[in-house]
Amino acid sequence: MDLDVHLAAIVAGDTRAFGSWMAGAEPRVRDSLRSFAQVIDVEAVLQETLLRTWQVAPRLIDDGRPDGLVRMAIRIGRNLAVSELRRTRAAPADGDELDAALGAGDAPASAPDPMLRKAITECRDKLPGKPRQALDARLASAGGQDDSDLASALHMTLNTFLQNFTRARQLIADCLGKRGVAIDQELGA
Amino acid sequence: MTDDELLIEQVASAYRPVPRDELRYHPHWYDLDGAGRERAFARARALRALEAALDPDGLSTTARAVLARITGRR
Repeated sequence: MDLDVHLAAIVAGDTRAFGSWMAGAEPRVRDSLRSFAQVIDVEAVLQETLLRTWQVAPRLIDDGRPDGLVRMAIRIGRNLAVSELRRTRAAPADGDELDAALGAGDAPASAPDPMLRKAITECRDKLPGKPRQALDARLASAGGQDDSDLASALHMTLNTFLQNFTRARQLIADCLGKRGVAIDQELGA
Repeated sequence: MTDDELLIEQVASAYRPVPRDELRYHPHWYDLDGAGRERAFARARALRALEAALDPDGLSTTARAVLARITGRR
């Protein structure tokens, strides 16, 4: 699906449309920054990239190819990552990797699999109390609070909170594995 | 859990201090070596897919954090 279907609404200031665009675009923009993972905080750069994409979307010039806004976001992310490299004086990433990352923007967006969503939800619903609390706290905070604050709110130490969160993702990974669902190995690590 | 595992779990979250004049990294990102940062990237990637699957609008906590900044809630 061409994510530019959301572009007119985004330009009109519709944040829900931008959310729908991010649901498809975020993994691709994140993956385009993979080669920088050792030298910059990709999560911080990614969030700033997505914010700037929202701000400059009205300036996008249609080149007739699909996913113009995704390709623009990948360029914004790359430029921001390079600026961060200069600021932090870290070793630059390999140029070929950068070009490959930019090319990744041409990959089609995959729609969320409803069956996978259902399986994940059912596995989440089987979590025991404390791990479920830790997972729910992370989801509810949506990146707005650090883990120390989330732990305090749940009357847990930071270590206990992190152990419960780790257990939650590992249990979900185990549950999905038993259902024959292929998962990212890092989820169960 | 090892100290590194605890750090990776925290850095893999979507929490980041709100930028001021320049980007602000997760405080513990600086405590990780290159391999640890790679693991944090991979862990974040896996977690965001999980989060999006659990969200009614298909949004990860990264996307929710960005929307909060756009709408002035953060």
